[in-house]
Amino acid sequence: MQDILVALFHMIVFPGGAFALTLGLLLKGLDRKVEARLQRRVGPPIVQPFIDLVKLTTKETLIPATANRTFFLAAPLIGFTGMAVCAAFIPVPGVYDGMPGMGDMLVLFYLLPLPAIALMVGGSASSSPFGAIGFSREMTMMLAYEIPLLAVLLAVALKVGHATGVGAELSLASVVAYQASTGMLGLDPVMLPALLAYLLFLPGTAGVPPFDIPEAETEIIEGPLLEYSGPALGFFHLGAALKTVVVLGLGVAMFFPGTVPGGIVPNVLWFALKCAGLMLLSLTLVKAATGRFRIDQAFTFYLKLPTPLAMASLALAWLGF
Amino acid sequence: MNLLKKLAVRSPWLYRINAGSCNGCDVELATTACIPRYDVERLGCKYCGSPRHADIVLITGPLTARVKDKVLRVWDEIPAPKITVAVGICPVSGGVFRDGYPIEGPLDRYIPIDINVPGCPPRPQAIIEGVVKARDLWLERIGG
Amino acid sequence: MFGFLKVLARNVLKGPSTDPFPFAEAHTPARFRGQVRLDPALCVGCAICHHVCAGGAINIAEREDGSGYDFTVWHNTCALCGLCRHYCPTGAITLSNDWHNAHLQSQKYDWCERQFVPFMQCEGCGAHIRPLPPQLAARAYGPGGFDFASFMRLCPSCRQLAAARADVHIPEASAMPAAPAGHADEPAIREGDANAVTVKGDETPATGVQQ
Repeated sequence: MQDILVALFHMIVFPGGAFALTLGLLLKGLDRKVEARLQRRVGPPIVQPFIDLVKLTTKETLIPATANRTFFLAAPLIGFTGMAVCAAFIPVPGVYDGMPGMGDMLVLFYLLPLPAIALMVGGSASSSPFGAIGFSREMTMMLAYEIPLLAVLLAVALKVGHATGVGAELSLASVVAYQASTGMLGLDPVMLPALLAYLLFLPGTAGVPPFDIPEAETEIIEGPLLEYSGPALGFFHLGAALKTVVVLGLGVAMFFPGTVPGGIVPNVLWFALKCAGLMLLSLTLVKAATGRFRIDQAFTFYLKLPTPLAMASLALAWLGF
Repeated sequence: MNLLKKLAVRSPWLYRINAGSCNGCDVELATTACIPRYDVERLGCKYCGSPRHADIVLITGPLTARVKDKVLRVWDEIPAPKITVAVGICPVSGGVFRDGYPIEGPLDRYIPIDINVPGCPPRPQAIIEGVVKARDLWLERIGG
Repeated sequence: MFGFLKVLARNVLKGPSTDPFPFAEAHTPARFRGQVRLDPALCVGCAICHHVCAGGAINIAEREDGSGYDFTVWHNTCALCGLCRHYCPTGAITLSNDWHNAHLQSQKYDWCERQFVPFMQCEGCGAHIRPLPPQLAARAYGPGGFDFASFMRLCPSCRQLAAARADVHIPEASAMPAAPAGHADEPAIREGDANAVTVKGDETPATGVQQ
């Protein structure tokens, strides 16, 4: 009974649910503010995403007459709940160990596409041609960026597994514990290509320029999100914010887990700071300076650059370096 | 409740409709968002791509006969509560094209307009002033 | 390849280049074309502005009691082209640099510049006229040192008669230079000379062409 309550606490309050939500929306606000400063503008206040959500609750939800009501309304919830649960798997070094003893890297790999699937379901349920185009583009992008993600996860698993003699270590908690004793994987030259591949994977999964193709405003009028309004749209934004926290937290746990002395609060702040740093490097910097790829360019980019880098790390880890 | 309503109007999302405009006012609208000089994001605004996401609608152009049905249809798709702003003299009175053969008259014959921003085209700062007035009207309307 | 990093770094260091409006006053150039204004003292009622207005914004309506006319500019159809200012013979219409034009729909038909321009009675025949503005009078009757103060409150017909009755100065024949030999293509009467001759109702100088 106690275990269930503890697990629920981890899923709803910390680090899933409320904590991930707050952190995700704050990171999104910081991202918009820094992007504005990089473009010599002033930018919105950092709490702007919270205000956007409050505003969305005051609008009405309109459903197209030819849409499939059930899937149209259920789609945002798929992404939101999936990511809220995923956040419970991310270890916060020094505070929370994650779910020890499970193959949670594989679980994460299976659950991470959920927001993209939610977008696809919403796009096709909305019965608009732009939604259908967004559906196909989102599917192409998923195919493109899931390959380097899998390679990076396996590279980390093999590297840690070889060192601890298990073969492949798929539990994030053990990966973090290994790095606490041996040093961060991000500083290991064997893992450097994997780190680069992960940094290139981040904009694709977050739907950030130059990879914001499925939600292109100027080309397909926001694609799958076209027919959404009011609270339903709010849930899509929440799901996207949670997904950002999950992938950034995964990156921090795999490559840069490090603790600071002082207990819970400094470690939570340090974790948030590291997530923010990773986000500024891989998402904001790229977003502020680029336009948008075509879908075929994005696909070939992922095949040409991140995949070989991740495969290189995978090969080196498998050979035992 | 009141505080939530006051917060809600701090994120007006703008949607532009071109009802047969010469594009002069549309260029000024693009200027108000895209260039750092007149940043609308400071007010929490964002140009959104879909009419379903909009709060403040900016309409330019005299309503030409060709585009009238489409404009009315897109305007209906925007969820309430919404504030309609007529940008430029063309939607307010027909502008320099008044009484022309393809002009279906000033926009308020078909759509209830809330704020007018005359000018040909109005200055970006004048458009921002119109957006601020629209935001205050929105707060009044949702009862804050 | 990474030139954009240099640009971004420079942007962060330079800071925002955003115009502070609406949190502070925006810079407005002095000659900015804003709302149209009328100075009723200078208006002569020629209605050229009404004729050239691009948006049909200017309306001149005489009052039934004959006391004057109402001059209205509806800002909601004024295209700020400035043609009225360009063609106004007295400079009565000007464009201020006031661009604060956003207003509610309820004020739409009140968003005007309204001025009442009064008529006065001609001192000769009693007709309703607008008095001749000083600048126009100076240009028409000034050269030659003519005293035109009494013409300012006369209607055009009475003014014609009064100017004809007043002394019209014609210079002596010897004061006019003869055409020099060998300069057959020069005009006999040069521009400056013609102004000395005041001809009734006609202020354009005669530029003779040498035959």
